[in-house]
Amino acid sequence: MQEPIFSLLDVERTYELRRPGWLNRAPRQLKALDGVRLDLQRGDTLALVGESGSGKSTLIRLMLGLEPASDGRVLYGQRDLAQLDAEEKKRFAREVAFIYQNARGSMNPRMRIADILAEPIRLHRLCAESAIAERLAALLDRVGLPAGLLQRFPSELSGGQIRRVAIARALAAEPQVIMADESVAGLDVSVQAQVLNLLRDLCRESGITLVFITHDLGVASYLCEKIAVLYLGRIVEQGPTDAILNTPRHPYTRALLQAFPRFDMPLKASLSGEIPSPVDLPKGCRFAGRCPEAQAACRESDPALTAFDAERQVACLFPVAGAQ
Amino acid sequence: MDCAVALTTQAANMPVSEEPLLDVRDFSLRRGQAVVLDGVSLALQPGETLGLIGESGAGKSTLALALIGLLRAPEVQLEGSLRFRGTELTRLKEADYRRLRGNKIGLIFQDATAALNPCFTVGQQIAEPLKRHLGLSKWDRRERAAELMHSVGIPEPRLRLDAYPHELSGGMQQRVMIAIALACNPELLLADEPTSALDVTIQAQIMELILDRVRELNSSAIFVLHDLALGAQVCDRIAVMYAGQIVEEGPSERVLAAPLHPYTRGLKSCVVELGSRTLVPIPGQVPPLDAMPAGCRFAPRCPKAKAICGEQRPRAEIRDGRQVACWFID
Ligand SMILES: Nc1ncnc2c1ncn2[C@@H]1O[C@H](COP(=O)(O)OP(=O)(O)OP(=O)(O)O)[C@@H](O)[C@H]1O
Ligand SMILES: Nc1ncnc2c1ncn2[C@@H]1O[C@H](COP(=O)(O)OP(=O)(O)O)[C@@H](O)[C@H]1O
Ligand code: SF4
Ligand code: SF4
Ligand SMILES: [Mg+2]
Ligand SMILES: [Mg+2]
Repeated sequence: MQEPIFSLLDVERTYELRRPGWLNRAPRQLKALDGVRLDLQRGDTLALVGESGSGKSTLIRLMLGLEPASDGRVLYGQRDLAQLDAEEKKRFAREVAFIYQNARGSMNPRMRIADILAEPIRLHRLCAESAIAERLAALLDRVGLPAGLLQRFPSELSGGQIRRVAIARALAAEPQVIMADESVAGLDVSVQAQVLNLLRDLCRESGITLVFITHDLGVASYLCEKIAVLYLGRIVEQGPTDAILNTPRHPYTRALLQAFPRFDMPLKASLSGEIPSPVDLPKGCRFAGRCPEAQAACRESDPALTAFDAERQVACLFPVAGAQ
Repeated sequence: MDCAVALTTQAANMPVSEEPLLDVRDFSLRRGQAVVLDGVSLALQPGETLGLIGESGAGKSTLALALIGLLRAPEVQLEGSLRFRGTELTRLKEADYRRLRGNKIGLIFQDATAALNPCFTVGQQIAEPLKRHLGLSKWDRRERAAELMHSVGIPEPRLRLDAYPHELSGGMQQRVMIAIALACNPELLLADEPTSALDVTIQAQIMELILDRVRELNSSAIFVLHDLALGAQVCDRIAVMYAGQIVEEGPSERVLAAPLHPYTRGLKSCVVELGSRTLVPIPGQVPPLDAMPAGCRFAPRCPKAKAICGEQRPRAEIRDGRQVACWFID
């Protein structure tokens, strides 16, 4: 097996919550990520799923090097992100692109689309100034937008168009990895379908490695060949998409699947309660408070992510059995 | 549930002796020159749930706002009729509307954070309609507010009566909105994307809760939804809206399982299901309000469009127990 393009080794991220007026008290610790292990191979398409507050965005910020891990290591290739030198940082910025959740908000409203797209090309000196126009036309074509949009401002584009521009900007520096945070949330189904097809084709054609955050398991399954499910700062299950959909092994994964609206099944509130705050994590399994399968042992020992079979890892003392 | 199907099939075929709870007839709403709602007709029987679906800008929220009298002349111009329990709403005075709103008609909006007042405790906000419409005493209001919070699944309601909205999670705020909407046992509940901002797990809890309470009260409900599969799960009837018109309306199992209108079919082929292999987007975009096509508004995007579609607007026809507005129904 080739070496992974990204490796996360027992990554933790804690935030200190300072309460005003409590000068002498130790600040409380919020553990947004707690022992995350993950290997990403070149060409992988991985979806990170989980409820709001499970730590998806924090994980991606760490993988982008926007924030340091509080403990553990994030490796890009063989190199620790925290130890990159200036030259390596530049290369990382070219090779790993990010599509923001709020596409419109991430663009300068006073810049024309042409300049927004040319910025990364100029920054990384990817071609001569005279060749930029040609390159921009090719980029727009690749995301299915007419070249006429180049002279417009972000406010003059629709929701679907602006997300395509965001994708085009991510592609501009010809990255090897694209990370995207909820990039289709809030879009109409038809526009969502267009954007998903575009991303899927791009990954298939050019072998780009994709990390896609979504709380929508349908979107995850359409776009990505692998799924990692997060709960309260830890990956609780990961494996190939089909296996996760057909035989979820973690009770949380199963509950997420059961709550997903389907034409052929009645509504099912599969979980009671809400995701608790990561401030005072309970002893034992972090899912025990909501888990329909919880037993006494679950409140005592904290299950680590371990191999369930050749392709799947699960963090549960009593994984869901059977073929379903 | 079975009787709802029987009722609606009957409603489609012959005049019903009993008057529907809500009867919308040829209702149009204009903002200046722009026709935002164009000849909308639908009827809702007591105890029925209806889902409004369609792309952004179709006019779903506009219809809901018009129904509760929050969009009125001179801001907009209304035509046609909106009858609720036999009362013509388009001619109702504001004072009479106030007696309906939050009382006989309850409301739930998508964004609870924006809809709740940050300066008042949730207890005060739930008590408000109890005071205004039911005239309960201060003590009774507090008791009833705690009961309502309990009934919408808020743990330890008495402790939370004095909480401010920002101290609650998004899901809990949405539960507070539901408690307010149901405070006076409304006969009709309007919910505009009540769970779009929530996780599927919380969405399922909240939807189950709304349905349970609506059934207990034998009320009717109109949901604005963007998720078709959720519509299939929670609605007896579905009305598909496109560019201000209803293009298909009928029992949800028929409309969603075997859609007849090309737009409904297009929408369905865009839905991401678990394990979907292909998605087929609808080409093009919803036309802007000031550039609506003359004939069928869907014609520029329709795979089945013929010459007549560009010239004449198709009328709604009854077909297979539903209304469909298309020249070429299979
Ligand atoms: N205050 C307003 N002033 C002018 N036009 C408006 C206003 N509110 C809505 N519109 C227009 O009326 C049309 C219908 O809007 P409406 O909000 O009812 O759509 P919707 O179906 O609820 O869409 P969404 O799914 O995005 O909520 C749209 O073209 C919209 O731009
Ligand atoms: N900068 C921060 N300071 C304090 N807490 C944070 C910060 N960023 C995230 N968190 C907390 O970390 C947890 C995980 O958040 P996040 O990664 O945004 O989850 P997701 O993207 O899955 O919704 C949440 O409890 C969130 O409130
Ligand atoms: S360890 Fe126990 S509580 Fe945790 S997920 Fe497994 S069965 Fe549920
Ligand atoms: S009337 Fe014509 S354009 Fe309109 S939906 Fe039917 S076939 Fe398509
Ligand atoms: Mg996030
Ligand atoms: Mg709306």
